[in-house]
Amino acid sequence: MKDFEALKSIWHDQVALPKVSHEDVLKKVGRVKGGLARRLLLEMLGMTIATAVLLWVWIASPFRMWTTHLAMLIFLACCVYYIIAIIENYRRITYDKLLDKPEEYIQYLKKYKQDRFIFNTRKYRIYSLFFTAGFILYFIEIAFLASLWVTVTGIIFTFLWIGLCYFVLMRIYIRREESKLEDMIRNLERLQKQFEEI
Amino acid sequence: MNKEALFKEIFQTNSKKIYHLCYGYTGDEDTANDLMQETFMKVWQNLDKFRNQALISTWIYRIAVNTCLSHLRVEKRHPKDELTENLIETKAEEISDKNEQVASLYKCIAQLEENERIIITMVLDEVPYTEIAMISGISEGNLRVKIHRIKQKLTELYNRNERF
Repeated sequence: MKDFEALKSIWHDQVALPKVSHEDVLKKVGRVKGGLARRLLLEMLGMTIATAVLLWVWIASPFRMWTTHLAMLIFLACCVYYIIAIIENYRRITYDKLLDKPEEYIQYLKKYKQDRFIFNTRKYRIYSLFFTAGFILYFIEIAFLASLWVTVTGIIFTFLWIGLCYFVLMRIYIRREESKLEDMIRNLERLQKQFEEI
Repeated sequence: MNKEALFKEIFQTNSKKIYHLCYGYTGDEDTANDLMQETFMKVWQNLDKFRNQALISTWIYRIAVNTCLSHLRVEKRHPKDELTENLIETKAEEISDKNEQVASLYKCIAQLEENERIIITMVLDEVPYTEIAMISGISEGNLRVKIHRIKQKLTELYNRNERF
């Protein structure tokens, strides 16, 4: 039979030592910071390229109708909006200044979840509507320039893709993200409760 | 003192205790190292804000506790005792008698609730009660009652475990 003091002595006899040195930590700090920056840079780069291509198409192509110019303007506005949204959401999820305040962090996550839901539903609906409107305007000029079957095929595939994103892919995405965030909040709340007064 | 030198000093003073806390919480050496590394990364990132704090160890413990608790966010974990039992079985031949006792103690800690694991690890590391109260957010009076219960629970678990 051992008492708690004996257990304490076993604890102090342990030779288990961390395998991480302060240099490892500093190296990783650099790596993670670099990693985050790289990921952000890649996403930004992708959208910037898309925006640049769009801009180039707009300038280089001899569009004659005002509807096409309006479509291009809508597409560009959507791209810029998307870039800003990526930056904002990324900045929020990587925010760790509330790390030593679990309750505030849980509230922060709840607010983030709510905002993400609005972003993925209401804002995405508006985004899709603008994109659809852009394509409708764009296809007006295409209808005059290209043959009927090219126009019809283009319209079918474009709207099928928008529909697939909106009705299928986005719903799966929302469900997964919601459950992940819900899981995070539930676990943090459960653990937080264990620290509450007896 | 520059930031790197200060960090080195803080790391050397606190890393062992933080490692014990993470090890006690996870029961797994590799995960404990990862969590400790994550904790100190956060310490490094926020060091400027805490340069003049008297109780920097409290702050580090607080970060470590939250890092351990948040660990559940990224990983669906196996039931604790299964995990630790496997770990102990695999390494059974490698460990000496003394280490066997330590392993058995970790196995018993793993059977406690998450918050109990964290509190008892700090008690074993002789962190003052005032500091534990600040870290866990429990009033000192309640903490004493809680610690008393956890001590009893752990001792019973250890002695039961030793009999088999």
